[in-house]
Amino acid sequence: MASTETPPHGRSHRVRLQYFAMLALKNLFRYRRRTVVTASAVAFGVAIFVAMASLLNGLAAEGDRNLANYETSSAAITGAGYWRQREEYPLDILVENTGQILSVLDADGVAAAPRVAFRGELIVHYDPYPEDGSVYLALYGIDVERDPQVFRLAETVNEGRLPEPGEDGILISAWLAERLGAELSYPVTITTRTRDGFHQILDMDIVGIYQTPNPTVDRSQIYLPLDVVDTYLEMQGAVTAIHLALPEPVPGAADLGPVKEALERDREGVGGTGIELLSFAEMTEEFAAAVEIQDVAFNIVLVLLGFIAVVGISNTMLMAVLEREREIGMMRAIGMRDGEIRLMFALEAAAIGLLGAAAGLLLGARLVWYLVNHGIDYGTLLEGVEMDFRFADVLYGVWSVRTMFTAAVGAAMLAAVVALLPVRAILRREITESLRRH
Amino acid sequence: MITVTDVHKEYLDGETHVRALRGVSLEIEKGEFLSIAGPSGSGKTTLLNVIGCIDTVDSGSVLIDGLAVTGGKKGDLIEIRRNKIGFVFQSFNLIPVLTAYENVAMALSLLGLPESQIRERTMNLLAEVGLSNMEGRRPAKLSGGQQQRVAVARALVKDPLIVLADEPTANLDSETGEAILQLMKGINQRRGTTFVFSTHDQMVMDYADRLCRLHDGLIESDELRRSA
Repeated sequence: MASTETPPHGRSHRVRLQYFAMLALKNLFRYRRRTVVTASAVAFGVAIFVAMASLLNGLAAEGDRNLANYETSSAAITGAGYWRQREEYPLDILVENTGQILSVLDADGVAAAPRVAFRGELIVHYDPYPEDGSVYLALYGIDVERDPQVFRLAETVNEGRLPEPGEDGILISAWLAERLGAELSYPVTITTRTRDGFHQILDMDIVGIYQTPNPTVDRSQIYLPLDVVDTYLEMQGAVTAIHLALPEPVPGAADLGPVKEALERDREGVGGTGIELLSFAEMTEEFAAAVEIQDVAFNIVLVLLGFIAVVGISNTMLMAVLEREREIGMMRAIGMRDGEIRLMFALEAAAIGLLGAAAGLLLGARLVWYLVNHGIDYGTLLEGVEMDFRFADVLYGVWSVRTMFTAAVGAAMLAAVVALLPVRAILRREITESLRRH
Repeated sequence: MITVTDVHKEYLDGETHVRALRGVSLEIEKGEFLSIAGPSGSGKTTLLNVIGCIDTVDSGSVLIDGLAVTGGKKGDLIEIRRNKIGFVFQSFNLIPVLTAYENVAMALSLLGLPESQIRERTMNLLAEVGLSNMEGRRPAKLSGGQQQRVAVARALVKDPLIVLADEPTANLDSETGEAILQLMKGINQRRGTTFVFSTHDQMVMDYADRLCRLHDGLIESDELRRSA
């Protein structure tokens, strides 16, 4: 009796793998309708996942951009410990040596803009306003020359202009103007306290109205010239922060090393240990909580989509495995190992997953294209929402090849793993039992 | 070549304990064309399954080519089935999405042989079972007899020590069944391949060189015969 020669292990393994792959592919067409339905479920999941990821990444990117462009900038120099207390608007943690620091930064070619942030009550009266009213707001003294080099506020002035140095003029948001019934040249009164805690009253005129894509800024901040603030608040040249614009592709990517070195060179002159250099990440770490909420929401969506795919694929594979139990019995009888049968079904399910993923990517890419170019208008939805959010009415998506690749590979892998559950049950049965099935 | 010694096997059918084999002993020599006959429930399929290493025994022993398979490791039994045993099933058990060629080639693919060798041996076998030019057809495009020929080719293509056929003609009309028997008999004579059938079909019994009758899990008779 002739015997069959055993080929080298690597080659035999490849031959078997090719055969299983061929068999798995042919089985895809065995249940065409079921394959199409399952692949469609996977496609739906992948498409929604890709679109959601695009939107959430867009949200995060937009949030970072709007923080950097209108609130934090790339980095900032503040009095030591100021940033942790900044929402109390303290005027006793200050950068005193403003001029010296700006000289150092200017010498190094770093764009810098000093600001004084303080709290005050803005009061308006009937005529020209429709009614009396007041509102507590954050007020910012800005260096009209330097600020546009760091922030993009000046680009958002759509009525009037920035107040000029020495002018008793303020810049308010369109959002606030609409609620107050304010127009250009309307007078306002601001009550606040000086650096030393004395009451102070500022009578100003509205010279400009701005509208940023950062609703938090629009709803809470008004601006006036730094020198005017310096005088009224008796700041003696001190500021609450000097904001820096550093070259960076995305917010938070800038290298602070050269700035640190420059400040270190004139340690005593710039204020020594009384100041600190804050990175974008340090200034925005509290927003991590909001990002975490996004992540949780994203993960919930991911779990739901995964559940859809799991149910769809496991159901398809369960039916396929049950219908082919006798066939599986035959394969085991003629010497196919359990691992090889598992591999065959995993390949089959992975192919369904890949088909679905491919369709899902096409559909997802179409959705992302729409989100990137047209966005979704959340304006009406967020109209009455009282929370910190830093994206405009229209939220745009972003392209992420990595997310799309992850979604496709993830779907195929998930499909392969899920397929093993029903196969496992069948492989626990005796071969003879499987062979008796009809 | 195959030695079955005092094999006992009991299994549960629903809530009923069935004593399928009650001390069966049997010697099968190389090149035999043996039919295990008996009514339903006599234990013939169980005996075939035990010899084919797809069922275990409660007691007793089975030696294949001097190798004890009772109590053997799962992996060892798979290797024996893969290399030394060919199966022909009553209902053919072909894979419907594969062509006749691919169904037969499966047995060799499991051995990991090179594609050229798989092709040569598969085509030769298909020709030998009378299916030249039908290698590209799927089972649905083949008659019952042709499907069983493919199954016979699949069992033989790896040149096994023994071919076990569980009622191979039960799903065929008598004319086709006889043609299959003639085919297997011819291969047995030309190649010296050992065939063991289970059957209750008189025609299959008539073809056997040796007829072993089972009744209630015991060998009732074991006689050498001439082929029909």
